[in-house]
Amino acid sequence: MRRFGLALLLLVAAMAPAEAHRLKVFATVEAGSVTGYGFFIGGGRPMGATVVISDAAGTELYRARTGADGAFSFTPDAPTDLTVTIDAGDGHVAHETIAGDRFGPPVATGGALAAEPQVPAEAAGPATPVGPDAAAGLSTEALQAMIDRSVDTAVARQIRPLLEAYDEADGRVRFNDVIGGIGMIIGIGGAALWMASRRHRQPPAGRQSGAS
Amino acid sequence: MAHIPDGVLSPAVLAGGGILAAGGLAAALRHLDEARIARTAILAAVFFAASLIVVPVGPSSVHLLLGALMGLVIGTATFPAVLIALVLQAVLFGFGGLTTLGVNTFNIALPGVLFGLLAHGYVGRAQAPAAMLAAGAAAAAAVAGTAGLVALALILSSADFVQPAKVLGLTYLPLMLAEALITGFAVGFLKRVKPEIFLASARPVAA
Repeated sequence: MRRFGLALLLLVAAMAPAEAHRLKVFATVEAGSVTGYGFFIGGGRPMGATVVISDAAGTELYRARTGADGAFSFTPDAPTDLTVTIDAGDGHVAHETIAGDRFGPPVATGGALAAEPQVPAEAAGPATPVGPDAAAGLSTEALQAMIDRSVDTAVARQIRPLLEAYDEADGRVRFNDVIGGIGMIIGIGGAALWMASRRHRQPPAGRQSGAS
Repeated sequence: MAHIPDGVLSPAVLAGGGILAAGGLAAALRHLDEARIARTAILAAVFFAASLIVVPVGPSSVHLLLGALMGLVIGTATFPAVLIALVLQAVLFGFGGLTTLGVNTFNIALPGVLFGLLAHGYVGRAQAPAAMLAAGAAAAAAVAGTAGLVALALILSSADFVQPAKVLGLTYLPLMLAEALITGFAVGFLKRVKPEIFLASARPVAA
């Protein structure tokens, strides 16, 4: 039994580079679109998997198949809570929820602001230095909206690798949890042993047959 | 892919798997004596750790199941061992699912118990090389049994799964070989170190 325990320890030691094959979804918001991809923890992307994006009420808004890179991209008509579901078809399914406020202020799609981006282009013209001259023709609100939008885009671009790394790390099999799980099993075994020893002591006569 | 996650199988299959696993569990717990509890816990820990190591094969990936090794050493107690390990894997790693616990336990434990008990008598009597071969064959058969049960569970749930289930079956072929090798050597090791583990004392569990 002791050698068996040793073998078990060696096995656990070999687990450091362990990987699970759970499917996960990475999804983020960039410039009003939901983009991302499905990935298998430990490597690999689901090829030709079904991607379904639905809103909070469960209405299906988008359905497509992933390419070789497992990626998808979808632009909703209006910012809303979205659920991305990727189904690889062989029993691997993953969900990810994107909160509506991740889309930032309602901009870009139609309305008065859609025409706005052209204004600075014309106003600035060939004069590249975007100084007070270029902004002069714009209202404060429009300028503010433009700044908000570019800040949103820049932040989304910068934190995307961070989010990706976090998602991947989050799903990896963790050594501590493996050790904890083994400890739990040993504990359950001990509890069972203790209960069995009580059962043996209690009835000195009679109903012994059940345990034989 | 013996760990079927939540939300894939139909309720009928989930319920059926749950009932079958509960039956196996009840049968096992009635025969669980003290000597077997310790072995069961150790093998549950081995299964828990070993089946977390996943090797990508083609479009899917495989991991060790060790069903036959458990069946050989602890008989029907494979059911509680697998169940406990699967509960922990689902809770700690999101590996598999909670609603599919019954189906997954049954798929992994039943072939192991069947082929383990089938090979048990011969492994106990035979000398090391023959016993290792028999254990390896039982392991390969148990993996094939698990593959069949997983495919069955998927196909019974939805006709869409027929094609993926076939692909899944192919990924189990290399696993059968790996499992046969590992079980064979584990049994050879146990035969040398602790041969009484395969002797008649373990037999009543089969009854």
